[in-house]
Amino acid sequence: MEEDYEWELRGVEDDFGRQFAAELEVLAELEGTPTLSPSRAPQPTVGRPQLTFEEAIAGGDATTHPSPAGSPGKSEGRASKRPVDADFQRDGLLPPTPKVKRPRLEVVKRLNFTPEEMEEPPLPDSPPRDITPPPSPEIPTGLWGDGPSDAGADGALTPASPAARNPVRRRPPVLEDYVNVTSTRGDRAFLVLRGDPTGTGVQSPLLDIRWRGRSQLDLLGVSFASLKEQVDSERRQQRLKEAQWLSDTLHSLGTEEEEAQPSGAPEEEPVDGQDASQQCLWVDEFAPRHYTELLSDDFTNRCLLKWLKLWDPVVFGHERPARKPRPSAEPARAGKEAAASAKWKSHEQLVEEMLEAELDPSQRPRQKVALLCGPPGLGKTTLAHVIARHAGYSVVEMNASDDRSPEAFRTRIEAATQMESVLGAGGRPNCLVIDEIDGAPTAAINVLLGVLNRRGPQEAEPRGPAAPSGGGRRGRAEAGLLTRPIICICNDQFAPSLRQLKQQAFLLHFPPTLPSRLVQRLQEISLRQGVRADPGALAALCEKTDNDIRACINTLQFLHRRGRRELSVRDVQATRVGLKDQRKGLFSVWQEVFQLPRDQRRRVGQDLALPAHMLLLGPGDAGSLTSASQRFYHVLHVATSAGEHEKVVQGLFDNFLRLRLRDSSLGAVCSALDWLAFDDLLAQAAHHGQSFQLLRYLPFLPVAFHVLFARSHVPRISFPSSQQEAQNRISQTRNLIQTLVSGMAPATRSRAAPQALVLDALCLLLDILAPKLRPVSTQLYGAREKQQLASLVGTMLAYSLTYRQERTPDGQYVYRLEPNVEDVCRFPELPARKPLTYQAKQLIAREIEVEKMRRAEAVSRAGNGPQADRSPAGPEGPPGGSGERDGRRPALRNHEQRLEHIMRAVREEQPERDFFGRVVVRSAAALRAEDAGLEKDSAEWRIGTAVGRSEVWFRFNEGVSNAVRRTLYVRDLL
Amino acid sequence: MVQIVISSAGAGGLAEWVLMELQGEIEARYSTGLAGNLLGDLHYTTEGIPVLIVGHHILYGKIIHLEKPFAVLVKHTPGDQDCDELGRETGTRYLVTALIKNKILFKTRPKPIITNVPKKV
Repeated sequence: MEEDYEWELRGVEDDFGRQFAAELEVLAELEGTPTLSPSRAPQPTVGRPQLTFEEAIAGGDATTHPSPAGSPGKSEGRASKRPVDADFQRDGLLPPTPKVKRPRLEVVKRLNFTPEEMEEPPLPDSPPRDITPPPSPEIPTGLWGDGPSDAGADGALTPASPAARNPVRRRPPVLEDYVNVTSTRGDRAFLVLRGDPTGTGVQSPLLDIRWRGRSQLDLLGVSFASLKEQVDSERRQQRLKEAQWLSDTLHSLGTEEEEAQPSGAPEEEPVDGQDASQQCLWVDEFAPRHYTELLSDDFTNRCLLKWLKLWDPVVFGHERPARKPRPSAEPARAGKEAAASAKWKSHEQLVEEMLEAELDPSQRPRQKVALLCGPPGLGKTTLAHVIARHAGYSVVEMNASDDRSPEAFRTRIEAATQMESVLGAGGRPNCLVIDEIDGAPTAAINVLLGVLNRRGPQEAEPRGPAAPSGGGRRGRAEAGLLTRPIICICNDQFAPSLRQLKQQAFLLHFPPTLPSRLVQRLQEISLRQGVRADPGALAALCEKTDNDIRACINTLQFLHRRGRRELSVRDVQATRVGLKDQRKGLFSVWQEVFQLPRDQRRRVGQDLALPAHMLLLGPGDAGSLTSASQRFYHVLHVATSAGEHEKVVQGLFDNFLRLRLRDSSLGAVCSALDWLAFDDLLAQAAHHGQSFQLLRYLPFLPVAFHVLFARSHVPRISFPSSQQEAQNRISQTRNLIQTLVSGMAPATRSRAAPQALVLDALCLLLDILAPKLRPVSTQLYGAREKQQLASLVGTMLAYSLTYRQERTPDGQYVYRLEPNVEDVCRFPELPARKPLTYQAKQLIAREIEVEKMRRAEAVSRAGNGPQADRSPAGPEGPPGGSGERDGRRPALRNHEQRLEHIMRAVREEQPERDFFGRVVVRSAAALRAEDAGLEKDSAEWRIGTAVGRSEVWFRFNEGVSNAVRRTLYVRDLL
Repeated sequence: MVQIVISSAGAGGLAEWVLMELQGEIEARYSTGLAGNLLGDLHYTTEGIPVLIVGHHILYGKIIHLEKPFAVLVKHTPGDQDCDELGRETGTRYLVTALIKNKILFKTRPKPIITNVPKKV
């Protein structure tokens, strides 16, 4: 890839040179340097090694010292450049140094084409391409390009040693010729012009590269062909050396090597072993390339392979039965082994059955996508690649570094599933591997789902057993149909964006790698790399990395590169490299805190070993570390890396009381609570006062909990919810109090600050509100009871409380306080006070309503003015009224009373009143209308009034004809 | 044999009273008793039919001629001051104050008087 790129660049540069050569030369002539093409502008500085400007500035007038040529990378870098020099000189392209009398040669510093850009393609020390075993068809170029090129760049970055002889000065030298150099930032430095001490005319390969003798502009300064030739020769040299070295090692290692070798790829190893190990990651180098080399669980491997094979009918056109003989002998054998060794679990059977299930109408497996999930470093990606290649696919991988916007995702998916590569891969169909899909945005995953469910309605049709339905419609729809397998890989299968996908995917969990297998593999690797490692150390390594293959191998390589040829348990324990910076889940953090480490016996030699943290603290009293301090540091590490400290602490708080506590004095609980309080103080100080340095003490809380509560049994841990609940309750209660206060009568409210109300008043108020009331009608209450009720109602009204009927879920009706202040001031666990009966509450509620109405009426009456004061006598006044009337007309005798008088009396009556005794104020218009209205009408009305109000009334005796019949004796008369 | 002295006071004509017979009872609305209260109004229609209004009742009656008229007697028991101008001591006397030759009989069911009838119904 990068080669191509470079070639392109070169081409461009050549064009530029060709196109503008004439102009450049004219320009150069004008400046008085006729022999130089402009591309050689910096040529006068030849003989003065040129530093990068930064270095020059940094160095000041001081002479830069030769960099200690210690690291192999550097030496290689230099080695790679030397030949270039030689090549250059051989070509004789060196132009004569211009004889310039005046020392003022302005050299505008050009962009420093730093050597690392130029020299990449022909890296001599990168492993030969054909030899490096690619783990997959797609990856190798990338990996190959990444890994080694960094090393090469490292070497090339440091300026070559000749730079040492160049004094870079801040001010112009007095005696000598010099060149001044100005950077783009305006800094200026001066370089002394010197004679060529070695006679070659060239000291810096960097300079050599900068210009060429011909009028051709070149990025590299030398033709690529010569460079390549150079590199080849060097590579040959090196390989010879290595081959010799390797053969030596092999001899020394003796015989134990052979049986460890798998049958897979022995022939490659001896050649590239050490060579690649210099640059290539062992992880890639020793990645399994065949199904049999896979370290992961057999069952998982086989399932994925089977699933992939289900695609055969639609991808390769095989019939399904014909699929059986096709797989090579290896998977079959592996399957048999697994079947023999392990009993099928029910889950496994389930998966098997799922795999045996019929294909859908379009000959595809039911699940269009496989989802591999498991912790990092177990070889999921490797498995996907190996199996896909094994099944005859060419792998197209998308991973987190790719663009994952929905559009790009769609393009990639469609390109991968519908196109077929023409070049390379031998016309194999593609298999799309989407790595780290849990990091993809939901929109992108929806795109994937859309692709999967294309032609959804037809699949929803009742699936006849492989029924080939109507051809026309089918053929049309088949164009967009997904006909290539897709394998998705994720670490966290519970990522929310994967929820939809999981339902449709063939879900494969990755069990952790078996330590025995991993140890075996590590042993092979260390053997091949010439590292002496005993199985105990390797097992310790496995344990340390949680059976993470990648971490194991990387650690191994790291130790190897540091020059260790032997690996001991102590090395492993003291190394920090293998530690994964993986966040553990909250539950595992809590578990770590509450549970003692289980397998103490396996940690042999742990007491001697230093935990990684201790290394930082200093090796002072390392020997005295006990397992307790081990645990201490372990938990501290876990707590530090857990991240969500708040959640962790909440979980601890919620769960620590549910553990089995041993000490009856509850001392541990007390100190734990102290710790929690301390933690709160710290957090408050840190977050309120911005004193964030205090945050570093926070992780010690889990440690303290561990020391206090860790037991060997498995704790039952529940997710903390108390915080949330408490928050909710607080806000609820606040709202309640708010409602209550806002509804209070002002007189009451003036003395009821919310807090005082809650703390002092409400509890007692509830007692006040529950007097003893006889469950009878209010009519039957005695005076005292009536007064009690009235005061109760008054109190409740003052606090705007009332009872309201509610229907409970089970259909009963209850009366509840409204607002329900009982929630505020009563602890839910305590037994409830003896509540009022339903009837009593009902009664009170009614009384409250009535009282409210009464008050409202009183208020409105008070608003109506003073004439209302006279009213009470009005309605119930007849006796008094009549007396008054009598008093007014005493002379009028009974039989003289006539209707007219009565009518007159009525006319003098009180103003009209309505039902409530209020005076009806008639509008003037109504009055006039009434006056103008019929006299008879008003007379009748008055008669009516008189008649209706007479003091005597008549009761008719029904059915008796002669009611008045009395015996009367004469003697009574006499 | 008891001698009853009956004398008529006025020489000219006696006052003629009318007896009222009601089928029913007159009651006082309040518990103060009937005394001193206005019973109601007696009217005659143009046809001469008596109409009695008691409370919110209106009663229509008829005039019946009594076959045996009644006389209204006022009993005078002899007292010390009650001496005849002639000086002779008289016994108990009855003074006919009125004659009752007719009575008004209200025997039909009374009709209620509804005072405020909505005008448009």
